[in-house]
Amino acid sequence: MAIMRFIERLPRWAAPLIALVLLVACTVILEVATKGNSAFLSGQNLFNILRQWSFVGIIAIGMTFVIVLGGIDLSVGSLVGFVGGLGILTLNSINTAPATTAAATTAAEAIAAGRNAPPGSPHGFESLMAAIWNSFGVGDNETAAVLIALAVMLVAGTLAGMLNGTLIAKGRLAPFIATLGGLAAYRSLALAMADGGEYRSSSMRLFGLIGQGGIPIPFTNVAPRAPQPVPLLFPWPVVVFIIVALLGWVLLNRTRYGRYVTAIGCNERAAVYSAINVDRIKILTYTLIGFLSGLAALLLASRMNSVSSAQTGQLYELDVIAAVVIGGTRMRGGSGTIVGTVIGVLILGVIGNMLNLLQVSVYLQGLVKGAIIVAAVLAQRGERM
Amino acid sequence: MSDAGSPTVPSSAAARAAVANAVDCASDRPLAEVKGLVKEFPGIRALDDIALAIRRAEVHGIVGENGAGKSTLMKILSGIEQPSVGSILLDGTPVTITSPHAADRQGIAMIHQELNLVDELSVADNIFLGRERTRWRLVHDGSQHATAHELLKRIGCDIDPRRAVKSLSIAQQQLVEIAKALASHARILIMDEPTAVLSERETAALFELIAQLKRQGVTILYISHHLSEVLAVCDRVTVMRDGRIVRTLDAKAASESELARLMVGRPLGDYYPKRVPATEDVLLRVRDLGSAATPLTLEGVSFEVRRGEILGFAGLIGAGRTEMGEAIVGLRRRNAGTIEVDGRMIAPRSPREAVRHGVAYLSEDRQGRGLTVDMGLTENTTLVSLRRYCRPLISRRAEDAAARGHVERLHIRAGALRRPVRTLSGGNQQKVALAKWLEVEPRVWILDEPTRGVDIGAKREIYDLVGQLAQRGMACVFISSELPELLGVCHRIAVMREGSIAAILDAAQATEEKIMHLAAGVNA
Repeated sequence: MAIMRFIERLPRWAAPLIALVLLVACTVILEVATKGNSAFLSGQNLFNILRQWSFVGIIAIGMTFVIVLGGIDLSVGSLVGFVGGLGILTLNSINTAPATTAAATTAAEAIAAGRNAPPGSPHGFESLMAAIWNSFGVGDNETAAVLIALAVMLVAGTLAGMLNGTLIAKGRLAPFIATLGGLAAYRSLALAMADGGEYRSSSMRLFGLIGQGGIPIPFTNVAPRAPQPVPLLFPWPVVVFIIVALLGWVLLNRTRYGRYVTAIGCNERAAVYSAINVDRIKILTYTLIGFLSGLAALLLASRMNSVSSAQTGQLYELDVIAAVVIGGTRMRGGSGTIVGTVIGVLILGVIGNMLNLLQVSVYLQGLVKGAIIVAAVLAQRGERM
Repeated sequence: MSDAGSPTVPSSAAARAAVANAVDCASDRPLAEVKGLVKEFPGIRALDDIALAIRRAEVHGIVGENGAGKSTLMKILSGIEQPSVGSILLDGTPVTITSPHAADRQGIAMIHQELNLVDELSVADNIFLGRERTRWRLVHDGSQHATAHELLKRIGCDIDPRRAVKSLSIAQQQLVEIAKALASHARILIMDEPTAVLSERETAALFELIAQLKRQGVTILYISHHLSEVLAVCDRVTVMRDGRIVRTLDAKAASESELARLMVGRPLGDYYPKRVPATEDVLLRVRDLGSAATPLTLEGVSFEVRRGEILGFAGLIGAGRTEMGEAIVGLRRRNAGTIEVDGRMIAPRSPREAVRHGVAYLSEDRQGRGLTVDMGLTENTTLVSLRRYCRPLISRRAEDAAARGHVERLHIRAGALRRPVRTLSGGNQQKVALAKWLEVEPRVWILDEPTRGVDIGAKREIYDLVGQLAQRGMACVFISSELPELLGVCHRIAVMREGSIAAILDAAQATEEKIMHLAAGVNA
């Protein structure tokens, strides 16, 4: 009885946390048993997992709000591809004359890689945009190019989210349908603008700083044989993910907005009767996830210094929703936690990494992921609905 | 008599014998007997040592406050729940009723408050659901329709068995449920709050039907909150309290106040608070309000509520009282008329705008619209007034303190403040819903059925609260389907009929008959 009461008092994210700890323990034990040491636990590996999954994680924080609200957003993956591509296009259109030879080589490479495309290809878009920028007098400046590109990505993501929210709140479309439209449309736009190819940034160093750099951690050295110590970097995307998660926690638990999101997810009708501006909260929530998708696209584009119109962000929506669900957020809304979502993201990251390290076929990773998602939902069913 | 409808209703020998038995009331042995029944749920004993004997062909009322154990007892009799200890005897033979299906075989049928019909199917299909008449393994519609028609005629109902259930009124659907029970040769019919969804006229028709069924030998267990109804329709009444049976009385010898006293376990004193005269100052003025919302059109609704006045709204179900309340706060589109609060014209398009003008609407649908039942007491209480607890982040401590204040003032019986209000009883939930609006201190209150599904103790507290609101100079609109409470609580009573106000009466001069005549549109 006492145990039951103890279990009842545990927060919603306790179960996913236990799952994460078990997963990590299993990975390390299996590794040590088969290879004698653990590559998993190395700082470099852990940071790699974190950085790789911080993009999904940032969007998952927004998705937590959307699902607690009682909605869903399927458009995030395509939006990442589209916004990322748009950003790089903007960047290149301003940063027309490659400042360094390295960049020139990249541009040449890009052309060689099959972008000698007909009109309407990136060059078409780029030259059009370049003309516009030139008329504003901001042509050919790498710093300005990078800054404007970043702003464009954040704004584009936000606007796309706002459009989703408006369609859902004012147009009374089912969230699944409205965002399914986005899923198809944004990917198509991304593909069309690059003619199915790749967007490559012409800013070799500056643009990549955000996604590739990080905060050096003192007293660490990843290159022991190098003449000078190379410190381990705490990657910027991870820093951003942590900040977004913290702000998300405050927003969900300690602000009126968060309370209203929960109330609408619990009972939308009662929320209307309780003098809550339901439409506004809905639009805000989809705008939030749009902004966060833009932010993730920005970091991802910077990390790769390129965006593949077909691949970037592909199926992100599934990973994002999976993370939220694994984290214990109720699919029909009204209840969910940010902590749970963060744990959900980490679980997905650890699974992928574990299977890699244990040399399980890449093709089987989806199976494991799927099993974990279904198990998470089955575990939630135990609670009273 | 026992052969009513039998030419086409092939009854099993047992059922035929049962009906014959029932008519022959000479036998003194009770039809059903419950002995030493105990039902325990984790943490509570819902039923404790229940002993009850039900006679043949009697209408037996069961009354008690919410949580007294009425529903649990009925669930056990109808096979939904199993008793922890104790026995049930039918005709002197112990039986175990393991499922609703088993209850059906024993001739026990229950008509739930929420009817259990399949909307899309026809009346006949519903009546024979689960025991379809077949010929060559196919459903034989002709035979079903004929039998259904007979059954419906037997209960004085003239519905085409081919009609889809969804096209019927609630009262007609209830008749279909009763016909369905008769089709399974029920000898004990359990009715849980059957009049909750019926208008007064339909209620009267139901009572006639009950009397008729009784003459046909059917035993009826009648559960209700309405003591006057119970006394009118039942032969004997059993009062339950806290999972025990307090007493079984002869309905003819019992009075409402006696039943109420037994239910609550203490004298109730004056049931309604003293009315303080209202001022002359008009606070809410509604003129020619119109709304074309489906399914009902509001037209030319005009009334005034003074400071300190409680204006009651009576009317049949579907007369437009809820629609009027919702139209005033902007939940429904208005297409005509004006609303003035304290002399200033307002035109709210949502409850949010209405609150800004000091107008609050308490919904009749507590679970569906009044509360977010999955959230805690605190979260519900502060949902409208949340801004006040933001500095700029929500201060949970200030929130909890405010909620605790309401819990004490309104005597809300609740566990932890942040436990879902779903776990509270109806009366306590209603108090939470009231606390939510008390928080924003509206000047005009529109209370829609504030005492529906609330036990007697909580009802009285709600009357007191409304009285206090009026005394503090607020204008209250009190919508209710219970005429005694309207007469007891309100200063004046507006009677609505078909989307308009038929008349506004002074409570001192109004009587239930007068109101009913106006509501039904019959001349006195």
